[in-house]
Amino acid sequence: MNGFFEQFPIVFQSLNIGFIQTLKLFAVTLLGAIPLGLVISFGSMSKFKPLSAVVRVLVWIIRGTPLMLQLLIIFYFPGLVFGKQLWGGGESGRFIASAVAFILNYACYFSEIYRGGIQGIPHGQQEAGQVLGLSKRQIFFKITLLQMIKRIVPPMSNEIITLVKDTSLARIIALQEVIWAGQAFMKGSQGISGAIWPLFFTGVYYLAFSGILTLLFGWVEKKLSYFKA
Amino acid sequence: MAVLEVKNIHKSFGRTEVLKGIDFTLEAGQVLTIIGSSGSGKTTLLRCLNSLEFADKGQIVVGGDMIFDAESNKRLSESELRQNRLHFGLVFQNFNLFPQYSVLENVTLAPRLLNKGTKEEIEKNALELIDSVGLLDKKDNYPCELSGGQQQRVAIARALAMNPKILCFDEPTSALDPELTGEVLKVIRSLAEKHMTMIIVTHEMTFAHDVSDKIIFMDNGVIAEEGSPAILENPESERLQAFLTSF
Repeated sequence: MNGFFEQFPIVFQSLNIGFIQTLKLFAVTLLGAIPLGLVISFGSMSKFKPLSAVVRVLVWIIRGTPLMLQLLIIFYFPGLVFGKQLWGGGESGRFIASAVAFILNYACYFSEIYRGGIQGIPHGQQEAGQVLGLSKRQIFFKITLLQMIKRIVPPMSNEIITLVKDTSLARIIALQEVIWAGQAFMKGSQGISGAIWPLFFTGVYYLAFSGILTLLFGWVEKKLSYFKA
Repeated sequence: MAVLEVKNIHKSFGRTEVLKGIDFTLEAGQVLTIIGSSGSGKTTLLRCLNSLEFADKGQIVVGGDMIFDAESNKRLSESELRQNRLHFGLVFQNFNLFPQYSVLENVTLAPRLLNKGTKEEIEKNALELIDSVGLLDKKDNYPCELSGGQQQRVAIARALAMNPKILCFDEPTSALDPELTGEVLKVIRSLAEKHMTMIIVTHEMTFAHDVSDKIIFMDNGVIAEEGSPAILENPESERLQAFLTSF
């Protein structure tokens, strides 16, 4: 099968399957890291010094080392050291290990963005809520939260678009995401070998998806532009 | 009976003693103005009354109830603290309106969250308050669309919506351009005419003279002189004389 038009449907189908895995990792990472990041940011701002110190060291380690290294350690460490496959075998095991590494890594980055967002809100906003008799919870959810969201949308959109491309790092533990699927046609798969174009074609998926996200975040920013915070 | 009794309030930040024993009483319907140079402790005193700071020594009694006693070992719970804060309203120097809410939402937010009536009652009351500060036509605008003077008038309406016994003002016109201070002072003046009990920290001496029942001059953490507005014309202490000549 040498003709491009013969190869295309086979490659297209295979890349689609790979890209679904990419999207799954992307979605699971966001679902896990967005709330975990909030917990970590509260931990790092805690008035209980030992807690904030431990959390800040954790954030330093995670942000200070490559995500690829974290992926390798999280995937191989339980098996090599305890002789136990914590994540289970096969593709689902690789996916779980990848998700754990990505959620932890991105939660740490998000936590710093949240911290900046929360600490950037003037203290007077909280005091205005206090003198009106509102509870801490009401102040956070009804006053602080939306102002924080407005502040963090630009840096978060940056991180989230980076995440789209970072998912390809899971290739290192052979997660069958879109680049893995494209590379397969170089080595040989489904009767196609030595083909470089499928690898180039994976770039189209990333471009399209990050394009959609860029539009989406632009829309959110516009939605929140009715007030100044 | 006095609506507010403040007894022997002391407050330090680190080694700096900001309040060195403040005593005064306030009758219902009276307007008390606190004057004094920056750093004399005026703002800290207001913040202690509003439970944003806690005095190291002394007592605060509102309507006969001891709401704060530094000598008591019992720590106030979050809900007691919130109850205490509801006796007072506070209008800030920098307005501190909630930017994501419209004028009407700023005024209704706290009454709604604290279930101070039905939605209709709360809204009706809010609209009356917004009308009384002259901003009914701006009720759907957001704070960023208002001038400083307008924002401060909304802040006054917002504080009034919780129906405080005592409304405190912390230099309400200090962040405003001179041409905008008049509209805010007019609103405060109209509240005085309606016998709202108020404590006003201000540098507007003419206004203080006209609107107050009682004036306290604070200097270096103590009350250096107090009395009727006449003390502004005939100050007894040298410190107040010196302070007044700076205007």
